[in-house]
Amino acid sequence: MKTKTKTKTEKTNIKAALTLATAALLGTSNLAQANTVSTDSAQESTWEFDSAFLFYSEVDRVSAGEAIFNAKKTFANDEILNLKLTVDALTGASASGAVAQPEVQTFTRPSGKGQYDIAAGEVPLDDTFQDTRVQLNAQWTQPIAPNYTASGGVHISKEYDYLSLGINGNLAFDFDRKNSTFSAGFSFFQDTFTPEGGIPKPFSSMLIGDSSSPTWDNDFTETRIGSEDTKTTIDILLGFTQVINRRMITQFNYSYSMVDGYLTDPFKIISVVNGSTGLTQDNIYESRPDSRVKQSIYAQSLYHFDSTVLDVSYRYMWDDWEITSHTLDTRFRIPLGDSFGTESYIQPHFRFYQQSAAEFYQPFLIDGDALPTYASADYRIGEMTTFTVGLKYGLLVNNGHDLSFRLEYYRQTPTDAGFDEPGALQEVDLYPTIDAIIAQITYSF
Amino acid sequence: MQHLLKQLSFFVFSLFIIIIFSNNAYAQEKAQEKIEHEKISSQVALVQELDKHKGEVVYLDFWASWCGPCRKSFPWMNKIELEYKKQGFSVISVNLDTDKDLATKFLNEMPASFPVIYDPKGKIAKHFKIQGMPSSMLIGRDGKIKFRHTGFFTKKISLYQLEIQQLLAIK
Amino acid sequence: MKKNIKLVLFIPLIIGATGCANLGVEPWERDLLAKDEMSLNASPIDVALDDHIYFSKEASSGGKGFGGGGCGCN
Repeated sequence: MKTKTKTKTEKTNIKAALTLATAALLGTSNLAQANTVSTDSAQESTWEFDSAFLFYSEVDRVSAGEAIFNAKKTFANDEILNLKLTVDALTGASASGAVAQPEVQTFTRPSGKGQYDIAAGEVPLDDTFQDTRVQLNAQWTQPIAPNYTASGGVHISKEYDYLSLGINGNLAFDFDRKNSTFSAGFSFFQDTFTPEGGIPKPFSSMLIGDSSSPTWDNDFTETRIGSEDTKTTIDILLGFTQVINRRMITQFNYSYSMVDGYLTDPFKIISVVNGSTGLTQDNIYESRPDSRVKQSIYAQSLYHFDSTVLDVSYRYMWDDWEITSHTLDTRFRIPLGDSFGTESYIQPHFRFYQQSAAEFYQPFLIDGDALPTYASADYRIGEMTTFTVGLKYGLLVNNGHDLSFRLEYYRQTPTDAGFDEPGALQEVDLYPTIDAIIAQITYSF
Repeated sequence: MQHLLKQLSFFVFSLFIIIIFSNNAYAQEKAQEKIEHEKISSQVALVQELDKHKGEVVYLDFWASWCGPCRKSFPWMNKIELEYKKQGFSVISVNLDTDKDLATKFLNEMPASFPVIYDPKGKIAKHFKIQGMPSSMLIGRDGKIKFRHTGFFTKKISLYQLEIQQLLAIK
Repeated sequence: MKKNIKLVLFIPLIIGATGCANLGVEPWERDLLAKDEMSLNASPIDVALDDHIYFSKEASSGGKGFGGGGCGCN
């Protein structure tokens, strides 16, 4: 008999790669923040707090809630201490990488403790993902000489099966009456992953059967090669900021990132299908290289019109997995004046993203073909276009505190990177579009 | 799609290059129209104020409402104005806000016990080749600039006061 | 294709570098630049939350910077 047990400790890959914190950490070092005027900066040192809650929800898939509490203290000598607490919780279903089929399919949960069925024609989604993560960041910034500002920080993040520890440091040098700034930064992260069910043997078949049978545990262990693995990430960032004129500022960055260690997603599988019928013969665990080198160039411009502000940025990324991507992000802030709330504003937002598939990305494998060295059917490293449209509304409340609301629509459209679809696969959706809503409320005081 | 993106990128960056160059040209035109009117008011006002304090040590401060360290320096400037006044000392400030309303709002929240000269076009600042905000200069009893400071640092307050006392001692 | 894109991105940088002497403002002309909304990292909370989402759902991350801009005080 097939049992469908829901285990609360299953992991999803959305949080598996916590090294995102690199970007967040380098972005929040706030080297210029000491100079912005706040209403109570008459005191020698002041605290500023930000609290935010975000809700992310994909139609029929994953939902996540994330809360951030940030405390920033500016000291008498322009030193800044920034402390941030982040808590997020995830629930819902994610694509496992297997292809849809014209018949009902059964898969085993990542923990090995139970199976789940997928209806005919449906994209296989594993819905056992529920987890909570807690993250702490601490960052210290201070001038170390006229025109030199240094910053350093630490990061720790923990969830049931994942631990991430990181440090970062950066230096900024201003010249030409502070119209130009050179900056250099690095970060180092060490992550440990202990997935429920252990690390699967790459390309081994997913064991389907009865998890309550006496031989199950032994058979399942055969498909595992260990209980945990690690990953190291090193990031280097070089930046140049230039004030163009009274209304405009631009920034250009180059970044280099090296990740080494376990980069495979232990919960993702690839379907091996018959070359003419397109029917699944086997589902095997994916395998990715144990290193990845990414580089990116980024340019951003801010322009202040009479009262509105336009923010446009573009990033081009390329890596040794042969993924290239373009990100175009733009925000336009429109002050509304006091009739819509004290010093209120609206800010439309548009983001466009496009990526090419990783060299080893395959939506499925053909039975009988030689196995490639690496393969993954994870659409998140496949060919894809996404766009986001949103609107933010903000106003001052309670004696000058900021309150804002943000609502966005995010649409991910995986596309066919040129794989012929045999037989039954022509009748199913191999590249489903995913729609999501992002809602956020922020209060600063 | 990729071709469209390339076109879009070209467009976005061409747009910004156009904005850079057109804005520079426009700013120069505007400055020339008002040049005569401003030259007379702010620089003359400063000269008149300095004349009132001939023979005194003067702390000349350049500030603006959007400058955080300027806000921190005001309580201290009020304090030294009071403390050293009878020894022949004055604080004179030059405000560099382009919009006088913002300066007024700042002064409502942070009153000044010393005079404020308005230099919205920055003519005085340019004349003295101000290098950063805030900036201050200590003028001796002989009317010559003795010390210049860029930025205001609370940990340097004792140094600033030492310099003032040093200049006050010279008769 | 990759080369062309890199060229587009670096044209403004080259123009900026060669014309550098003309770029920038006097220290007292930074009123607009001092505003929060003119910060290169305005709304860092929004950026951190968004980066987390996009890092989880897409294959790219990071690249954004820090430093420079603002009122240029002290």
